[in-house]
Amino acid sequence: MDRRIQHHPVLGAIAPGKTLTFQYNGKPYTALHGDTVAAALLAHGVRQLRVHEESGSPRGFYCNIGHCYECRVTINNRPGVRACLTLVEADMEVFSGERLPAPLKHPKAKDSSEGRDSQLLQKGLREG
Amino acid sequence: MTSPDMVICRCEEVGLGKLLQTAAAHGCSARELKLRTRAGMGTCGGRSCRSLILAMLEESASQAPGHDMPLGCQPPVRPVSFSMLGGTE
Repeated sequence: MDRRIQHHPVLGAIAPGKTLTFQYNGKPYTALHGDTVAAALLAHGVRQLRVHEESGSPRGFYCNIGHCYECRVTINNRPGVRACLTLVEADMEVFSGERLPAPLKHPKAKDSSEGRDSQLLQKGLREG
Repeated sequence: MTSPDMVICRCEEVGLGKLLQTAAAHGCSARELKLRTRAGMGTCGGRSCRSLILAMLEESASQAPGHDMPLGCQPPVRPVSFSMLGGTE
């Protein structure tokens, strides 16, 4: 909770609100009532919410107003939910987005951004 | 702010360098550039990068965004789940 603004230069001291607990990737976190999932995680220093499905590069929220879909996570088994628009509810289970297999990607594709998967695929092809 | 590694389309992970290279190699219209590189075809539907792509083309190829082959928005404008369209969970 230490990353929150406790004393605002204009608004003064922020009154402590009701806290909730939720889980992110199986780890418990606390949130204030009215926090979005993205805000609650940012308050704990968690900036990565998913990885790019194909390349595996890390992603966090970007626009924070629901336009860019960069912050989509799985909440209570519902995939593709935007963390920046969803308010935290008690005992919510949030999971980050993971890298997906790309079995149809040509292993010799020139601009292939991933290494490991295509290497594995090539190995598999060689070994039959 | 002209590094070729600078990401323009976040959804499909397309950098400025690749866009400029493709635009120069093929003399692309905005729509052709989108189809060649997939920039603007990701989950957000080009909301983050459409204006950047158009501005980049305008600057690099002095191609003003016209009305003949625009970077259009096709329905559904936002990602919609099948359950939302009337299926069951």
